[in-house]
Amino acid sequence: MSTPANSRSRELMRSSGGGGAQLADVLERVLDKGIVIAGDIQVNLLDIELLTIRLRLLVASADKAREMGIDWWEGDPFLGRGQKHGEVEDRLKRLERAAGIDGDSGSDDRG
Amino acid sequence: MTAADALYVYGVVPGDTTPDLFAGVDGMADGPVRLVGADGVAAIASSVPLTEFDTDALEQNLKDGEWLEQKVRAHNRVLAAAVGKATVLPLRFGAIYTGEDHVRTMLGERSELEQQLARLEGLLEFGVKAVLDPGVLRARLAESRGGAADEGSGRAYMLRKQLERELDREVRSFAARCAEASHECLSAAAVEARANPAQAPEVAGGEMVLNGAYLVGSGRQAGLRRAVDELKARYGEDGVTYELTGPWPPYNFADEEPAA
Repeated sequence: MSTPANSRSRELMRSSGGGGAQLADVLERVLDKGIVIAGDIQVNLLDIELLTIRLRLLVASADKAREMGIDWWEGDPFLGRGQKHGEVEDRLKRLERAAGIDGDSGSDDRG
Repeated sequence: MTAADALYVYGVVPGDTTPDLFAGVDGMADGPVRLVGADGVAAIASSVPLTEFDTDALEQNLKDGEWLEQKVRAHNRVLAAAVGKATVLPLRFGAIYTGEDHVRTMLGERSELEQQLARLEGLLEFGVKAVLDPGVLRARLAESRGGAADEGSGRAYMLRKQLERELDREVRSFAARCAEASHECLSAAAVEARANPAQAPEVAGGEMVLNGAYLVGSGRQAGLRRAVDELKARYGEDGVTYELTGPWPPYNFADEEPAA
């Protein structure tokens, strides 16, 4: 199994990059980073975008950080300059409407 | 339909990578994780059932938090198995192909994959999160200002309010300074660096002032560790804790355009 040579890196991975990693750390990397390559079976890009925005609402506390004087994500497409938490939520609602998944109901009613 | 399976692609490694790295690693589904190679690069892939991964099923499954957590963790677990042993170029979640031929075609059409792998060779991603406990800092700041005003009188109340406002301001300015100085100090120990949006307090367990990712030479991890220790010594008493995670597959550095 694990040879002495690589036991150290295994140790490191167990403590962080591996199974014990915090979900938020894994989610923000796997869903929001990494190279984007379209496959044959299309993951609904709108769904992934919605997920990513929801995820950002969860993991990124934009207003809090801004209050604290931190505004690094100016180049960020969603939490960009001048965008407030509420605006991200508006964008989420617009996308949800476009995707036909108004709120949490499965109704087909698009009003 | 006869093809009940599709191929999920986790990432790309150099063509000479041994598939042994992924032996026994649990992927997205039951099947083994294998390499599908073409022209100097290979895709890390495993079979996934179309009942779970065709377009309609995916659309439903993506809304299921438990399903998503399982799959996202599997994606990371597979890539993590190669970290430190082969150069890994992580793909974002959701690259699904109908067969090996299509995966090979994709690899063949993307010459930049080989360049990206060359750029990331011998480098590892680490995460550093800095979280501030504002209570600790406020107590420290208040203490350094001397004793509290007399209780009771209206004047004392006004003074206390004013003090609160000043402390708020000082905490904000400290957080910004600490964030910037921390990122600078850590970046100096790295080849490349990214500062990501802070995680919410419920997730972070405090006010996250830094959510950084650092790309470090595999022999230079000690330098990053030293930087973290230095920051702990500098800001620990002010209520800031630092957490170093990794090595991660280089998710945060996979999408960079190669230098022209």
